[in-house]
Amino acid sequence: MIAGNVTIVNKLGLHARAASRLVNCASGYASEIRIVRGARAVNAKSIMGVLTLAAARGAELVIEVEGADQQQALEALTALIEGRFGEDE
Amino acid sequence: MTLALTGHAVGRGIAIGRSHLAEGSELEIGEYRIGADEVDKEIRRYRNAIDAARHQLEELAGRVSRNVGIGAAEIIQTHVLMLSDSRLRDGTEDHIRRELCNAEWALQMQLERMLLEFRSLDDEYIRSRGEDVAQVVRLVQNKLNEEAADKPFENMPDRLADTLVISRELTPGELAILHERGVAGIVTEHGGPTSHTAILAKSLGIPTVMGVRRAQSLLREGEILVLDGGLGVVYADPDEAISNHYLEVQRITRRFKNSLEAIRDLPAVSLDGQRISLQANAERPAELQMARDEGASGIGLYRTEFLYLQGAPPDEETQLAEFAAAIALLGGIPLTIRTLDLGADKSTDYLDFSQLRRCANPALGLRAVRLCLRDTDLFKTQLRAILRASALGPVRCLIPMLTSVQEIRMVHLLLDESREELEERGLDYDREMPVGGMIEVPAAALAIEELGRHLDFISVGTNDLLQYTLAADRVDEQVAHLYDLQHPGVVRLLRHIFREAEALRLPATVCGEAAGDRQYTRLLLALGLKEFSMHPGRLLEVKQVVRETDIPKARAALSHWFNLPPGSPPMSLLQVINESQR
Repeated sequence: MIAGNVTIVNKLGLHARAASRLVNCASGYASEIRIVRGARAVNAKSIMGVLTLAAARGAELVIEVEGADQQQALEALTALIEGRFGEDE
Repeated sequence: MTLALTGHAVGRGIAIGRSHLAEGSELEIGEYRIGADEVDKEIRRYRNAIDAARHQLEELAGRVSRNVGIGAAEIIQTHVLMLSDSRLRDGTEDHIRRELCNAEWALQMQLERMLLEFRSLDDEYIRSRGEDVAQVVRLVQNKLNEEAADKPFENMPDRLADTLVISRELTPGELAILHERGVAGIVTEHGGPTSHTAILAKSLGIPTVMGVRRAQSLLREGEILVLDGGLGVVYADPDEAISNHYLEVQRITRRFKNSLEAIRDLPAVSLDGQRISLQANAERPAELQMARDEGASGIGLYRTEFLYLQGAPPDEETQLAEFAAAIALLGGIPLTIRTLDLGADKSTDYLDFSQLRRCANPALGLRAVRLCLRDTDLFKTQLRAILRASALGPVRCLIPMLTSVQEIRMVHLLLDESREELEERGLDYDREMPVGGMIEVPAAALAIEELGRHLDFISVGTNDLLQYTLAADRVDEQVAHLYDLQHPGVVRLLRHIFREAEALRLPATVCGEAAGDRQYTRLLLALGLKEFSMHPGRLLEVKQVVRETDIPKARAALSHWFNLPPGSPPMSLLQVINESQR
């Protein structure tokens, strides 16, 4: 398993559109992907899970990935989150 | 007697028309036992209902994406994801197996559990996502029980012009359907200002008031209503004073819209005869189409990030296909493709995950061209796709967030390598494709003279440039008041950029939000800007201001403002410039 830390930097945080993009991105990989915020851990492929993280801007998350394509999955998710989900701010 | 009902102000605007009460009955969800041998059948029934609901939403999302816009479609896509969610699926199926009960009941129990979880959250916006889950579940319940399903639109007319629909609640999908039928306004009993239905109503510009208690019992079918979406009020049987006031507001709004329509086919020429280029920022097909419809003279900013947000980075062919489709849609107007503007503190093969640390300050970190120059394979793949696209139509390549001449040199080096690679493969490209840079870093803005010599054009990203210049993040409410385009330091910096660009005969565009904000149009013209790039929905509004501006007079007012003696009465720059036009 590999893991990486990432901070939510887009204005609206993990709101519905960002969460959808994250779930879509995660679902493209075979690996098991968990997102941990404090004591809570959710399946990154579940929109309900990701939404209930209620991660606003500034929230610090840990992405845990395990599987054959773990490296690519972690890179892609990190780039997505740090790239503000393709939003302007 | 006027009856005024209040609710959440959701979709701004005035609607006057007759009410139509959408029918809809509370679906009765009962519980019954099933035999252990019926479990598989029940689960199959449940899965079929989920599939049917998903199919319906996907079909709707496709239609909405074409007719309404990508933002609206994305809201519906969120519901599709919820339908596919393992927690909803597994939780319900486990309940069926464990309790030996019908799918409807199991689904309802799972919904209750999930709603509890949403309701326990502190974040109001996220809490209201529980509403989305409930809407999605209601859709599945309707599929499970087709005969008893509530069909709110069964008796709804096909054309809803001058009709205000009064509904108990409304899903985003239902709202999209009402919009397609031309609904004038919406009143709902349930739903809050952060619901997806509210967000969609706002983005579609439908006057909407939500959360109006007992609206369906208090309002009668076919009565005259006045709805003020900005105030969150619905008036039934309005008295003359109220009607007259709102009719006047409607007249003014209509006059403004008509005045925009009147200039749709007229050129963007100022009163003193200067032609101004008004371009659009766009990426999705619907926006590109809108840009053409609104008369954009080009796409000044075509973002490519969306290509990179779907998992693995896109290959050359995928990107080329996307660019080719855009070029075909544009019918000959130029397309300015911005290279990848993502930020990340680490990327691809040199990555060492054990050392992955969060970037201390993402806005000042490894992003945009800085990231691309670290991962040259990723960058060159995109450069080759852009070069190949340049053989298909007028294409310009725009490099985001340049800081130094050294970076531009490296970009040119990589472009040369990419061209050679294409030639080896016998592929065509435009040898004259202009390469420009985004000016967002204050040091780059001050060094246009040096940087500009290596560029064919520049594009000023005012959002980031202002943030960096004022050291204030405009989305941070505590310092947002400092974020001001009229700050003399910002005005001087912009004046410097456009003067230097003119001296170098370097075409300059502004593609930040200021370009589409009509209150700043005259200021930017006074500063010497000749090319604007904005959201396609703003093109007509800005063109109207251009056509009503005498640029030399605005310039004189700007100089006057700079030379105001100390102690003069405070006058805002925009005020001074606007007064020069009288």
